[in-house]
Amino acid sequence: MVKPPPKSRGPNKLFLVILGIIAVVGVALIAMQAGGGPTPKIVAELPPGDAGKAQPYVYGRPDAPVIVAEFADFECPACAQFATLTEPDVRKRLADAGQVSFRFYDFPLEQHRNSVLASLSAACAADQNKFWEMHDRIFAGQDAWASKPGESDGSANRRASRLFSEYAKQIGLNESAWSTCVEEQRHLERIQANRQLGIQRQVRSTPTFVIGNQMVPGAISYDALKRLVDEALARRDTTARSAATQ
Amino acid sequence: MTTRMTIALLSLIGILIALYLTLYKVGVVGDLSCSIGSCETVNTSQWATFLGLPVAAWGLGTYIALFTLAMAGTGERYAGSLKISWLLVALSGWSVLFSGWLTYLELFVIHAICIWCVVSAVLMVVIFGLSLADLRGARGHGVAGSRDHGLGSTGPDATGRPRPRDPATP
Repeated sequence: MVKPPPKSRGPNKLFLVILGIIAVVGVALIAMQAGGGPTPKIVAELPPGDAGKAQPYVYGRPDAPVIVAEFADFECPACAQFATLTEPDVRKRLADAGQVSFRFYDFPLEQHRNSVLASLSAACAADQNKFWEMHDRIFAGQDAWASKPGESDGSANRRASRLFSEYAKQIGLNESAWSTCVEEQRHLERIQANRQLGIQRQVRSTPTFVIGNQMVPGAISYDALKRLVDEALARRDTTARSAATQ
Repeated sequence: MTTRMTIALLSLIGILIALYLTLYKVGVVGDLSCSIGSCETVNTSQWATFLGLPVAAWGLGTYIALFTLAMAGTGERYAGSLKISWLLVALSGWSVLFSGWLTYLELFVIHAICIWCVVSAVLMVVIFGLSLADLRGARGHGVAGSRDHGLGSTGPDATGRPRPRDPATP
């Protein structure tokens, strides 16, 4: 009589125990870092006006109680994610409500070949009071104009240039004035100064936010940003109260 | 410990690294622990996304597939299975090429290194080497005594245990 094959056994128990220990330790280490969101760093507040040659683009009341500054690169995907998903809420619920002054500082990264061109395009739209319209259009179309691996600089720039011209037309800019401004790189100094301010402020990645006196890297959620704005407002109230009692 | 057990163990470590980077990418982990290199620069660059998904999520899926295959291959049912060996070689081989491309981007395009990505690339190269060794072993056993080129060859299995005989074989 032929014996039936033994039932299939899995790998030995010791091995499974080792795998289990590694999995538990690994998940525990990850869990220790999760949940808290980005850790803010205390920094000096940005001045209400311009900082030297650095000039941000301002949305909302310039004298709002809290300044929310963003150092961003138009070609950075995390910046596009923030601009398209979170920023509309920040503008509507915080800036339009007069709580914050939202400020955009260019921080073009060296590895992004169309970033400076995008910053120039937005800066030239600002000359016609349409910075935010251009900002939104550029971020919304990032997938189409961002440089691709293996693509030559010239080809990447030409494609982006063509698309930015289309955006200029779509948002109703005076095209000839806008394209002359871009070609002459009229606002290059402002862009470089904005970036330089970020470097001085130890911005290491994009986007990075300075909310009141707290610096936070990464595309933070609306809730996290609102929490930091509330903290800044509370700190401001406490300072005002203690000044009044003295 | 057999070759496939080692592959499963390394894949598990890969799963944990890829999970960590994926959670960072979706905002659950706030700051990356990155003592060497510039993990944030790499993981916020435009090349940290592939076909609409974070590269780390692709890595997570690949490591889970490798882990599942290797674990299945350590059981008696698929021990020495050539199909498992070929799948391990194909998946890890493709991943080595992809990791190589990502490392090239880090070094020459992004100009920043993410230490977790480097560890993952090294893991994948080792897994690929082990997969090749496993395939060589499985093919050797297949030639020695198997009429099976897929599941269930009759030679000694990859765990070193003798294979169960086919009850229909006299």
